[in-house]
Amino acid sequence: MAKYGWLLDLNRCIECRACESACKQWNAVETGIGLRYRIVHTRESGTFPKVATQAASLACNHCDEAWCLKVCPVKAISRRADGIVLIDSTRCIGCQQCVKFCPYQVPALNTVTRKVEKCTMCADRVDQGLAPACATLCPTEALKWGEWSKIAGQGVGMIAGFTDPRYTAPNIRFVLDTWKK
Amino acid sequence: MTLTRRNWLRLTAAGGAALAGDKLFGAYFQPAQAASDEKTLITSCGICSPACGIKATVKDSAIRFLEGLPGDQSGRGKLCGKGTAGAQFAYDPDRLKYPMKRTNPVKGLEEDPGWVRITWQEALDTIAQKFGAAKQQFGAESLLFITGGSPDVWARYMNAIGIVNRIDHLDECFLSDRIVQKYTVGSKSWCNDFENSRYILLFGWDILAKTKLTYAQGIVDAKDNGAKVVCFNPQFSATARFSDEWYPIKPGTDLAVALAMINVIVTENLYAKEFVDNYTNFGQYEKQIREHFQQFTPQWAEKESEIPAAAIERIAREFATSGPAIVPAHKKTLCANYQNGTQLVHAISILNILAGTIDRPGGRYFSRAPSIAGVDAIYPPPAYPAKAGRRVDGKDKLPFVLEDGGGLFSTAAGGILEKYPNMIQACMINAYTAVSFPNPPRMFEALASIPFTAVMDVIPTDTVSYADISLPSVTYLESNDLVTRDYKALYPQVVVRQALIPPMFEAKSIGYVALELGKRMAPDYFKQAPGGDWIDLNVLLDEKTKRAGLGANFAEFKTTGVYTKEQPFTPRTTFSVAGGTKCQIYVPQFTAAKGADALPVWRTKRDLPSADYPYYYLTFIPAVHKRNSTQNNSILNEMLPTNSAMMNPALAQKLKVVEGQMVRLRSRAGAIELPAHLTETLRPDAVMVAHGFGHRSKLLTKAGGKGVRDGDIIADQTADEMFLAGNFGGSACIMDAVVAIEPV
Repeated sequence: MAKYGWLLDLNRCIECRACESACKQWNAVETGIGLRYRIVHTRESGTFPKVATQAASLACNHCDEAWCLKVCPVKAISRRADGIVLIDSTRCIGCQQCVKFCPYQVPALNTVTRKVEKCTMCADRVDQGLAPACATLCPTEALKWGEWSKIAGQGVGMIAGFTDPRYTAPNIRFVLDTWKK
Repeated sequence: MTLTRRNWLRLTAAGGAALAGDKLFGAYFQPAQAASDEKTLITSCGICSPACGIKATVKDSAIRFLEGLPGDQSGRGKLCGKGTAGAQFAYDPDRLKYPMKRTNPVKGLEEDPGWVRITWQEALDTIAQKFGAAKQQFGAESLLFITGGSPDVWARYMNAIGIVNRIDHLDECFLSDRIVQKYTVGSKSWCNDFENSRYILLFGWDILAKTKLTYAQGIVDAKDNGAKVVCFNPQFSATARFSDEWYPIKPGTDLAVALAMINVIVTENLYAKEFVDNYTNFGQYEKQIREHFQQFTPQWAEKESEIPAAAIERIAREFATSGPAIVPAHKKTLCANYQNGTQLVHAISILNILAGTIDRPGGRYFSRAPSIAGVDAIYPPPAYPAKAGRRVDGKDKLPFVLEDGGGLFSTAAGGILEKYPNMIQACMINAYTAVSFPNPPRMFEALASIPFTAVMDVIPTDTVSYADISLPSVTYLESNDLVTRDYKALYPQVVVRQALIPPMFEAKSIGYVALELGKRMAPDYFKQAPGGDWIDLNVLLDEKTKRAGLGANFAEFKTTGVYTKEQPFTPRTTFSVAGGTKCQIYVPQFTAAKGADALPVWRTKRDLPSADYPYYYLTFIPAVHKRNSTQNNSILNEMLPTNSAMMNPALAQKLKVVEGQMVRLRSRAGAIELPAHLTETLRPDAVMVAHGFGHRSKLLTKAGGKGVRDGDIIADQTADEMFLAGNFGGSACIMDAVVAIEPV
């Protein structure tokens, strides 16, 4: 069975945050408690006027070596045949072991339900043959989603501030040389 | 109004069973049984003016998901973060639900209006009676309408009762650009063919960072196609990140750079000769033009702007010789909302003309949108009464603004309170809040002084709390209309706007209000023909659909949703400018007005840094909000709930301010207090605050009480001041404040 992953072009992101918005709307993520499955992280570097910024839309990387899955004491976290890592809310006890161990700060406690939630790669959409909501809405093709076999060879595996992929084998690659002339 | 969100959804959404879960709206939208009633509908976004096409999934009579409409020129099958979150406008539990009247006569932000529910009949009867009485006793000038000029039935209502005092926010937006375009290229053009441009020059134009999607996509495409992008902006914004060269220009001096670039291009004869010779008045005024721009040397511009003269020269040459080149100028961006914004947009228009790309590939072009017949074409009205009376906003002092009709928010408070006290007796406000105005406290004071005010809106804004009667408005997701593509329109295209859901509670459209007030106040204007039936909005829409060739009626057009007539782009060869056929670099008409000039002259911004107010004050619209109208959307509120005082760490150190510390920004207009946010992206002599926050209404459960109003320290102004300063294009000067910064 095909496995899926993200391809993020760091130069094409305009920070419109349609990905975040689409994620919240499609997955009906609780609002008002700061719970977000996908976040556009921005970074600044340098000193004015030699300054640079970077925006990266990140969510769960559905790692092959998923620490969340490994540390969950009640086996609430599982991996589907297509690699999507899901939390079963009926089993989750809200202990937040996964929150502590995920190097990408992805799982987060829903303070209303006291269960941990995270990006599902829109598994329900994938089952219908659709791309996840975020990648569907991204207006500049900064965020793409697809079969990992087609993504794995593209771009690089790591950017500044991102945990070394050797520890987690995340299903995400980054494009850095979009407009290199 | 003690409805909880869940109760409210039980009342309004389709099935109670689906609400059993413990999430809020989430429970309702959980994918339910496969046999559910799911359909896909086409509509148009209503958040900002390009109105991107939407493919909506409606499930069990509720809006499930909004995404872009393939084949739409505006959004090209995509939506931005705001558009995607659209359903949360319709399902905002804070919405106004039925007409209400106030029982507490005292008006103020801290006053409880004492709302009492009334019927639409009572609301409309009362408004018609109050407006009618004011007009009869004090004349039409006593009525102030703070509304847009559309839709067409609303315009008809205003014309029928002789409204002279209508104001809108365009002076904070594209007013000066529209005025200048009329006299330089013939008509407004909001279309920028970035995709085919080789060289894009941005004077404070920050629409990519503000995410007007159609433009942002254009810039990204241009990059893909190898265009060079040069950006002048005091802040390293997302737009600057997309630029090949970024210059942190001194605020308000873009005009100097633009004038110097014209100087270089004209002096070195680098302009597009074929276009300039054939389609402009350059030849006729060559002597004046060459002489005029001689004074604006790159060396002079460097002193004003801090941009090196060598860079100005090089960029001017590159701009003129790299192939199709463009300078966009649009909306509330840094460039056009300084006091010298009118001169700047004139200079920008000249640069585009010299590049020879007006209505050419890679340039600013005119929309190919088809025209949709208005109500006056379909049901010709009796002759409208002549408009007579004093202009509360002083437009009559500014002839080009008067001719245009847009604006003026920046002068309204002074007009109401000081210039013509007691003149305004009744006021109608639709979808505007005083938070929009420069110096909102003054505008609130002005509103409190008006004896009778009716406000229509979707949510209970601060301004609604000043209403005597409040009216619940539909959202764009509950509306029907025909929407032309006007911001990216290489060929004619129309997309439907259709109600995805029936209006929530008793919400109605402004068209309905126009018709009902019209029937009561000026019945002769609201008949299909003299002595005939009343105008019916549904029949009218059917007739518009039919006349535009979109379908037999609106219901039929809804099923296809899009009309597209692909045709090759034929560049214009005549430009209908001021009765002639050529673009005007030199605008003789401008000399007819005092304070205006046929060629752009150098003027400074309004307020310059001083010992008392040493720092520039800049405002901006963040990517996830549309002005001040989206802060109560549950998704958008969460993405950006409040604002801060952005400043450079070097400045913060000098002021002994640390990240998150409260600071007071003080200008000659007032003071605001908000937390500091340190960023290396901004010039150390400026402080920057996001617009749209600082709503105070307690009925806005998400936006209320969060952040501060950026406008509180932006001085409002008088038309006389604008006239004397050469601000003949009517800029509201929202970028012109200077401030002192003090740690709190």
